[in-house]
Amino acid sequence: MGKTARILDGGRNDGISTVRTREIAEPILREHGWDVDVLRLAEIDIAPCIGCFGCWIKTPGECVIDDAGRDVARRIVQSDLVVYMTPVLFGGYAPDLKKALDRSIPIILPFFRRVKGEVHHVKRYTRYPRLVGIGVLPDRNDEEGEIFETLVRRNAINMHAPAVESTVFSATDSDETIVRRIEWALSEVIGR
Amino acid sequence: MSESSGHFLLLAGSPKPIEKSGSAARGNAVIEGLEERGWTSEAVHLHTAIRSKTGTDEMVNAVDRADVIALAAPLYVDSLPAPTLRALERIAAHCREREHEHSTRFVSILVCGFVEPSQNGTCQRLLEQFAARARLEWVGSISLGGGGGNGFGARRIREALKLLVEAIDEEILLSPYVDDLIGKPTLPKWLYVFGGNAMWKKAAKANGVADRLRAKPYQRPKG
Repeated sequence: MGKTARILDGGRNDGISTVRTREIAEPILREHGWDVDVLRLAEIDIAPCIGCFGCWIKTPGECVIDDAGRDVARRIVQSDLVVYMTPVLFGGYAPDLKKALDRSIPIILPFFRRVKGEVHHVKRYTRYPRLVGIGVLPDRNDEEGEIFETLVRRNAINMHAPAVESTVFSATDSDETIVRRIEWALSEVIGR
Repeated sequence: MSESSGHFLLLAGSPKPIEKSGSAARGNAVIEGLEERGWTSEAVHLHTAIRSKTGTDEMVNAVDRADVIALAAPLYVDSLPAPTLRALERIAAHCREREHEHSTRFVSILVCGFVEPSQNGTCQRLLEQFAARARLEWVGSISLGGGGGNGFGARRIREALKLLVEAIDEEILLSPYVDDLIGKPTLPKWLYVFGGNAMWKKAAKANGVADRLRAKPYQRPKG
């Protein structure tokens, strides 16, 4: 069975597009022997997390809301690599990607433990996917780029990713720059 | 009451109703402090507002009425809840386009479920970018760990919120002394881990699922 890469595409039809980003990333992954599954999150009806913690203390491991959010969480766990592909909003993710991630907390346990001195949640599963974040800035903004990269690394700690890398570029960057950045970020993680 | 009293808008960023939200409760404490100084106020529940055009229009109208805006929100996966982000995106777009006769100031109150307030740091930076993109004047941020205190460190949190009221009313930046008050965990980490884990087990037991707490419904099939 091949390795599965799941692209969580937070691009939207009315804003910054991630189409070009996906067109670059998908062939790179396939050339390296990965099966690629793309989730176009703007086209999937997912209710937002309601912060009830039911996924931890009522229906452990599964969100209490029975919609496509459950399927996204399942697909994340059953991946070898997850790629967050998103327009960058204030340094963070676009709302459609964030909504899917908010609904993915059932894949970890409520219990706390200390990780490198900080309190984080305990693993629910033995294995978790590697993580690559690819962000498209609306314009050149070093601070937002740095926040994005920090956010991806913070998520990797909380979601127990065994390897993480991220890259960010502006929608106005040259095609050559964008290709080079995406190739670099993916190779850093799929090469490990 | 200072001469600068004005109109305060609380943007409640939790999915929970304002009256049940821990982060909104901190925002309400700021409202009380400001009203004692002659301010008027209103609150908008962002998750409700962003669901309809009417709600969104009312939200941006409230933004236009405000002299100071505060976002009070829980930390979700190192950032804000998705609908809160969507609302802020809409507000930033609106504020960039408007012709406003005076500057609007912005503060944030972040509450995370980990004991370390520092885990709000990335989200706080994100909110500073929101303020810059929305052309709002950044005043400062109150960053709380441990679910907002849960009774621990209550006196220090009250003091920090008083400093925030002072900063808003007197049009000054939030005092760095706030970090001395609330910058550190309110409980030793080992105790938070021990107590938190016991709390989760008790809650699961009350729901009759204690034996399934570690269930793996999405376990990958072998092979």
